Amino acid sequence: MSFWHNASTGPGKAFWEKTVADFEAANGGVKIQIQAIQNEDLDGKLQTALNSGDAPDVFMQRGGGKMAAMVKAGQLLDITDSITEDTKKVISEGSFTAQTIEGKVYAMPVAVLPGGFFYSKDLFAKAGITETPTTLADLQAAVQKLKAADVQPIALGAKDAWPAAFYYYFFALRECSSDTITKAGQTMNFDDPCWLKAGQSVQDFAATQPFNNGFLTTSAQQGAGSSAGLLANHKAAMELMGAWNPGVIASLTPDEKPLPDLDWFPFPSVEGGAGEPGAILGGVDGYSCSAQAPKAECTAFLNYMARTDVQKAYYEAFNAPPVNSEAQAAVEEPHLKSILAAYNQAPFVSQWLDTVYGQNVGNALNTAVVNMLAGKGDPQSIVDAVKTAAKKAQ
Amino acid sequence: MSDTQHESVRLAPDPAPGLTKVGGDTPVVSPPAGRRKRKGIGWPARLEIALMTGPTLVVFLSFVILPVAMAAYYGFYSWQGFGPPTEFVGFRNYVFIFEDGTFLAALRHNGVIVVLSLLLQGPAAVLLALLLNRQIRGQTLIRVLVFIPYVISEVVVGTGFSLMLHWDGVVNAALGKIGLGFLQAEWLSDPNIAIWTLMGILTWKYIGFAVILFLAGLQGIPEELTEAAAIDGASYWQIQRRITLPLLGPTLRIWAFLSMIGALQLFDLVYIIWGQYIADTAGTSTMATYMVANGRTAGEYGYGNAVAVVLFFVSLVAALFYQRFILRRDTEGAITGGRN
Repeated sequence: MSFWHNASTGPGKAFWEKTVADFEAANGGVKIQIQAIQNEDLDGKLQTALNSGDAPDVFMQRGGGKMAAMVKAGQLLDITDSITEDTKKVISEGSFTAQTIEGKVYAMPVAVLPGGFFYSKDLFAKAGITETPTTLADLQAAVQKLKAADVQPIALGAKDAWPAAFYYYFFALRECSSDTITKAGQTMNFDDPCWLKAGQSVQDFAATQPFNNGFLTTSAQQGAGSSAGLLANHKAAMELMGAWNPGVIASLTPDEKPLPDLDWFPFPSVEGGAGEPGAILGGVDGYSCSAQAPKAECTAFLNYMARTDVQKAYYEAFNAPPVNSEAQAAVEEPHLKSILAAYNQAPFVSQWLDTVYGQNVGNALNTAVVNMLAGKGDPQSIVDAVKTAAKKAQ
Repeated sequence: MSDTQHESVRLAPDPAPGLTKVGGDTPVVSPPAGRRKRKGIGWPARLEIALMTGPTLVVFLSFVILPVAMAAYYGFYSWQGFGPPTEFVGFRNYVFIFEDGTFLAALRHNGVIVVLSLLLQGPAAVLLALLLNRQIRGQTLIRVLVFIPYVISEVVVGTGFSLMLHWDGVVNAALGKIGLGFLQAEWLSDPNIAIWTLMGILTWKYIGFAVILFLAGLQGIPEELTEAAAIDGASYWQIQRRITLPLLGPTLRIWAFLSMIGALQLFDLVYIIWGQYIADTAGTSTMATYMVANGRTAGEYGYGNAVAVVLFFVSLVAALFYQRFILRRDTEGAITGGRN
């Protein structure tokens, strides 16, 4: 079988190599060819491979509109009946929601990756910030304190567009009701005024100049100059990112070890929005089998990924919260604990909006947000861009 | 060649009745009154043609013509790239393209790059070539230095410049150190500056190619002409202006053609420096980066193919116009077949 994942460096890469080797040893005769693909290249390559009928048998699945498109084209294996009792014992039914379409499961979840602010405790202390921000006003005050302490407040990898769009997603989550967000995924209707208000909030927030110098040409994950690299090297105090970030940061610290003073707080509340307080955005990373994959071997491998020992190793390698409840109990780092707590308490969990609305609309949304941050366009042009893109796909 | 074709050769050595005299003593061949019908070529010749052109033709058809035809076909569908296209939408993709301000901006950027490439690189390259054509110390070294950027891979150039020109990069740092801090800028992301940054990089990268072409052209100009002019008392600049430049004309026109097509199809440097998403924001997007962003990255493959078709036609029309009106005098006889 062929297997594609996005951990192209460090312990994540080693984890998959070991997992595959162990699985092969336990299942004599199964051979798995691993291909690690750089995260930003993965979606495009996958689409080309699926389309040419040469799809990898097992591959990373981000869910949402992208998964829906694959299901619609008959590219994914329905694994509903292949999930073993052992797996069901350790992965709650709710964790399969993001991987389920019309009652059928199309991917095995491996990690819950909600978003929020990662920050350096040392830099916060240096700026005299004692409490993590819980409201937007707190956050803005923290930004000013950090600036006064000569620390770049927020790292932002806007070159990759999606990290900038996270601000829009989160403000939309605060401004729009969960109902509006979910319905827009089905109807592609963005007429609710909350979509405009979210853009306005991003614009107002950006006007306080919270981001690192040159954020428009900063990438998210590649090298010390990336936004994750700025955090890893104490060049910026915080970053709004998904829960995969500790692993990325760890690979970019000078000694390639996890950042010791890293911690996490949820996206602050925004006054007057229609969103439920505590609602959270986040992906659930999973793995799918392609329709042509050998079913028995492939689903056995997916079930193997969900085992407690493998999930513990996953958490250790990626420094990310595992989906397996027994493995979750082994989580030690305070930032991962707070992430899991916020996730488990959230009244509403939405996938990243670009995933929910599919590649085409999502891409237009991301680019429109960057345009606004660069001073080309306003909140209205974000809504317009989304609507234009939705028209193309109809 | 077999001699069966002899009769069909146009300039048959038949000096008798058809020959007329025009003006001085230039013989012009007009077709003889009772000219025999052009004979078909025999099978050995056909076999020869098939053998020699066959492989090229197969490769050309399958990797150039077929993809172009397929792109035209896919361009009529709304297609997300999974499975075969099923949703026929007619010309809707094309309507969207020309309604999309982002595409029009990309098209405009391409236009700016075409014009600025010619204006910036042309004169500079001519001057450099003239300089390097003289006997000066270190001539070879300078030639190599000028040509090196052209040899370096686009990926290396793009990565290098994006590191140097980032806000925290070496350019701004150097400006700060020498007291020119007020000149520090967002070289890559400020929409008012980025296109000029790109032009600077393009000029640096491709001027070597123009210089080498021009040098080759200069070597082809007979020394007798310049010597004669010098003996007649023409100054250096008079010689360059009246003799060298006009004789360099064909080279200049071919270079301008290559530069124009390259500028229309520009993709790699922009994609490497500005990435998948922000070229349009920075004002450096081109039709090709637009195609990738709105076709592949957005997962709208039908739409992307339609953009490819537009890009193809824009380049084709530009190339044909240039051939027809500017390159014609250089290529006459070579590819147009001359007058009959």
